[in-house]
Amino acid sequence: MVYFSSNSICSGDDQKNGFLKDGIDTVNYTVLSGRLHFLKFETTKISECMKFISTKRLQEYGDKDDEASASDKNIIKATGGGAFKFADLFKEKLGIILDKVDEMSCLVAGANFLLKAVHQEAFTYLDGQKDYVQIDHKDLYPYLLVNVGSGVSMIKVDGDNEFERVSGTSVGGGTFWGLGKLLTKCQSFDELLELSRQGNNRVIDMLVGDIYGGMDYSKIGLTSTAIASSFGKAVSENKELEDYRAEDVARSLLRMISNNIGQIAYLNALRFGLKRIFFGGFFIRGHAYTMDTLSVAVNFWSKGEAKALFLRHEGFLGALGAFMSYEKKGFTDITHQFMEQNSSVPKSSFCSEDGSESSTRAHVRDNECIECRVQVRN
Amino acid sequence: MDNLTEDHQEFNIGIDGGGSINNTDNQFIGRGEKEMAPIAGNSIHRSSSRPQLDLSGAAIQGNFEERDPTILLPNQSDDISHLALDIGGSLIKLVYFSRHENQTVTDRRRKIINARLGITNVNRRSYPILGGRLHFVKFETNKINECLDFIYSKQLHRGGMDSRHWQSEGSVTENTIIKATGGGAYKFADLFKDRLGISIEKEDEMNCLVAGANFLLKAIRHEAFTHMEGQKEFVQIDSNDLFPYLLVNIGSGVSMIKVDGDGIFQRVSGTNVGGGTYWGLGKLLTKCKSFDELLELSQRGDNRTIDMLVGDIYGGMDYSKIGLSASTIASSFGKAISENKDLEDYSPEDISLSLLRMISYNIGQIAYLNALRFGLKRIFFGGFFIRGHAYTMDTISFAVQFWSKGQAQAMFLRHEGFLGAIGAFMSYEKHGLDDLMVHQFVERFPMGAPYIGGSVHGPPLGDLNEKISWMEKFVQKGTEITAPVPTAPPGTTGLGGFEVPSSKGDALRPDASKLNVGVLHLVPSLEVFPLLSDPKTYEPNTIDLSDHGELEYWFTVLSEHMPDLVDKAVASEGGTDDAKRRGDAFARAFSAHLARLMEEPAAYGKLGLANLLELREECLREFHFHDVYRSIKQRENEASLAVLPDLLMELDSMNEETRLLTLIEGVLAANIFDWGSRACVDLYHKGTIIEIYRMSRNKMQRPWRVDDFDLFKERMFSSAEKRPRPYKRALLFVDNSGADIVLGMLPLARELLRRGTEVVLVANSLPALNDITAMELPDIVAEAAKHCDILRGAAEAGGLLVDAMINVQDSPRDSSFSVPLMVVENGCGSPCIDLRQVSSELAAVAKDADLVILEGMGRSLHTNFNAKFKCDALKLAMVKNQRLAAKLINGNIYDCVCRFEPAN
Repeated sequence: MVYFSSNSICSGDDQKNGFLKDGIDTVNYTVLSGRLHFLKFETTKISECMKFISTKRLQEYGDKDDEASASDKNIIKATGGGAFKFADLFKEKLGIILDKVDEMSCLVAGANFLLKAVHQEAFTYLDGQKDYVQIDHKDLYPYLLVNVGSGVSMIKVDGDNEFERVSGTSVGGGTFWGLGKLLTKCQSFDELLELSRQGNNRVIDMLVGDIYGGMDYSKIGLTSTAIASSFGKAVSENKELEDYRAEDVARSLLRMISNNIGQIAYLNALRFGLKRIFFGGFFIRGHAYTMDTLSVAVNFWSKGEAKALFLRHEGFLGALGAFMSYEKKGFTDITHQFMEQNSSVPKSSFCSEDGSESSTRAHVRDNECIECRVQVRN
Repeated sequence: MDNLTEDHQEFNIGIDGGGSINNTDNQFIGRGEKEMAPIAGNSIHRSSSRPQLDLSGAAIQGNFEERDPTILLPNQSDDISHLALDIGGSLIKLVYFSRHENQTVTDRRRKIINARLGITNVNRRSYPILGGRLHFVKFETNKINECLDFIYSKQLHRGGMDSRHWQSEGSVTENTIIKATGGGAYKFADLFKDRLGISIEKEDEMNCLVAGANFLLKAIRHEAFTHMEGQKEFVQIDSNDLFPYLLVNIGSGVSMIKVDGDGIFQRVSGTNVGGGTYWGLGKLLTKCKSFDELLELSQRGDNRTIDMLVGDIYGGMDYSKIGLSASTIASSFGKAISENKDLEDYSPEDISLSLLRMISYNIGQIAYLNALRFGLKRIFFGGFFIRGHAYTMDTISFAVQFWSKGQAQAMFLRHEGFLGAIGAFMSYEKHGLDDLMVHQFVERFPMGAPYIGGSVHGPPLGDLNEKISWMEKFVQKGTEITAPVPTAPPGTTGLGGFEVPSSKGDALRPDASKLNVGVLHLVPSLEVFPLLSDPKTYEPNTIDLSDHGELEYWFTVLSEHMPDLVDKAVASEGGTDDAKRRGDAFARAFSAHLARLMEEPAAYGKLGLANLLELREECLREFHFHDVYRSIKQRENEASLAVLPDLLMELDSMNEETRLLTLIEGVLAANIFDWGSRACVDLYHKGTIIEIYRMSRNKMQRPWRVDDFDLFKERMFSSAEKRPRPYKRALLFVDNSGADIVLGMLPLARELLRRGTEVVLVANSLPALNDITAMELPDIVAEAAKHCDILRGAAEAGGLLVDAMINVQDSPRDSSFSVPLMVVENGCGSPCIDLRQVSSELAAVAKDADLVILEGMGRSLHTNFNAKFKCDALKLAMVKNQRLAAKLINGNIYDCVCRFEPAN
């Protein structure tokens, strides 16, 4: 969820709140200056989300029809598969009409917005080291956007609203969590991820060294510690699931999936001659460890020639994009305004106070609001 | 060809001419080392210090229908190491070489023919005819003792039981070295040393894989196939256009290798999500005890219970904007997230399927992306994960098709699983590979093929008696397999689309998807018939048996004919108890083959009628019925020869034009004497040979169903005033014994001779039905020559009369009295002929020929009806099968075909 709240300086009268539901993400947005809040809820706990919305009375600030009759016709932009699924629920509980916005358009719009508007949005992550990457707006396109949700979509972005889903894989975050749940009985994604941090995949994965008697297969450039076959050791050992530590299982699984996504993403970038690969989606969710494994994978497959890039606002791309879609008129101008001003005003932690400028900043933490200041020309 | 054979001779003598440099190390061209790569192609004489295997002239024996067919290596010299191993984690694959069992028989036979046939001796004798077979056997690694026993019982570690040379050499050399690859090559080295005294020499795995794949793709015609929705389609690959390709080996992990040539390759990619992941994860999730069990489970699964589909996300709707349908998997195992279920709540079947699809799709996708990256048009998949499993092949095929939007196709290899072992075998010897030619391989499927298939091999069968006992025992146990069970035509149950590959569930029997691999016989003397106008597009079979109705028909025909055939077979061996027992075993074995093929028409490779008919002959030979129709043929030859003088007198009284017509009528009429045709067998009870012949000829009313006689006549006589140029040399492919050859083809040959055309009678090398053989022909010609000067002169000139032997090659122009009449063998033992694999004699005499006459159903209708030649061709046959008549010429039984096709 991303939502925007106006700063106290701005009175609530003339503000128009946008509100977005993205399964777990919502964007809120105001006309003048204010804050963009980023929140996540688990889809299974949708009632918590609704409670939150109703507490904050966010439902009243959707895209009203401008006219007086608006209050009983709150239209909220939303994206994600759940926009259909939970439409009735929202209608019933909150009187909100969810206006479904195409998921992929939202993703791309969100990413484009962030990459242009937010300074130090993109960063690389290798060996625990986070390095921000300065991207020239004029040299942004084309890039590959890899959204790792339940499944993985790989989108080639050539410009604003110019994009194509070129590939994808069904082996994504859902696979990690789904298989992980079956294998470890973890109750949440985060728990599983936490487990994986403490695991040792060598227990279950068959390494090159396991096959070649501890030696590298250097002829083909494989070191003895390279994974030859994920879960391959389970084949030969007389062990059952219970005999393996949940940590090790989670670790193997994570490495398998990250590796695979990184590989397919790199191959697709290569195919279309794209020099940048941005990874986003809930699988990453600012988790150092998944970013690390993805980076390692891209680095490995590209022989160091490509690097995985991440977005600080990953996970909110869709919600942001949906949020942007409120603006039918003049929105593109606003984005431009964002960009220009942002590029000229580097951000540190909080936005500048200049009400005529838009600014954003974000913490890369879950369920924290990110303050930003937005000025929107009506 | 000549070069090949000469080279061959040389290196048998001069082993190790080029030294052993570069043998293995440089075979692999690593990244950045390309400049230093040795050119593998021109190193004919390069060799290791190992004994050498000469692959020139390798051939799969027989029809292309067995599982793990054997390859024949005719040019193989004596001092060969003939065993190589691929010791994997679960299976041990064994490739071994043996010499022809019937080598002596064949040799003697050939000697006689060659003695009579000066013309081809030079060609033939330029290298020793050693030849042999490549056998493919599998054992489970945890039953390695069975493997050791097998090697011991066959004496493979010393050179094979039928080779005294090898044996003596083996016993002299204390330390026999056997090439092996696979992880187990290290692990079990001591065991091999202790038990068999063998030292294992480890060969690089990837080298072996690539060498094996290259060998198979070049040497075997029906090696590669596609597999979509349960349907196999064999792909013929031009060996000149093979490289580069992507070889994807799916073992525990997956290696993707770009292959640019022999010994030139690079591992470009791979994935750690492979067979080991499937089995490993599968084991943890389902508690299955074996890979096969897990695969088996997947066939009954429904992945929708556990995978998150696009429809699950979009409320049952497609996400059509990006081309995803509702049933596309959005997230493998994604449904497990939201549902409040534990592992125990999901069925192992569903889990297995979900896992299989996840991994297969992923491999297909990465493989395609890599092929794209390097511009490779072909992707071959191999490795234990595939293992002939239809569903696995289907999912990979779907993935490749889906991601390539139909631009690329996944291909599979019949010998998958044996790549490493073959490669290790090849590593004994590198140079023969370059000369290898597909037409020299013959693949044969021995009697056990329908039962054993590609499965793990049982105990070795020593002799015929053991074979028969095994057959009796096995068939008693497994009767349900022998009873032919026609099944629904495959591939009709599929829903299509990336989402639901069809070949799962009830249409798929666990065994049905497996391919048979036979014994590969290498026959060095086989060559492509040089007069084919386009050997690359040539397809011998006229009838495509992948049409299930067609297969069913021929299956019935062959089944009905079987009791009669068995009777004759037993009688031909004196009707002894032993013969009866062999007859029974033959019937069982052949029925089993038929049943297997009905169930899985592509089991033995691409299936044509010619293959089916040859399979029957091979099956008879396997149970030592060498010439079932011997006495019948003899009787009919004698009877026909007795009336020949009268016929010749009658012909000589006619004018040229009438005579030519009468001769062609005679050929067509005499072609009615065919024991292969049920209708004709019934006819035989109604009269004597000459009566039937005359009656039949009188009924020959033109126009025939296909009637190009006038064209042919015009070419022979020319309508203009000037005398036409006679044909220089005519090749007459003859059919049956008796009236067919004696009263039909021989008089036609005589007419050609009379007109100054050299005539070569082309006959079978081995008996098939009542077809005349090249062995029998000289006696018939000699007998006929007694009554005819033309024939006598020509036969003398052709060296057919033993006491007047003339070396034709030295003096063909000197024998001024007569143009020669010659006999050559065609190189096969089938009622049909595949002109891609004919004897070198035939290929040699074809060089000067400008007329080809194909006679009889087998050679001019079942096969070659559509064949195009570089010279004039005349196809003559009486159609003795209603179905074929209707299908081929829109006619009726006993209709005639006289097709004349001027040079292409």
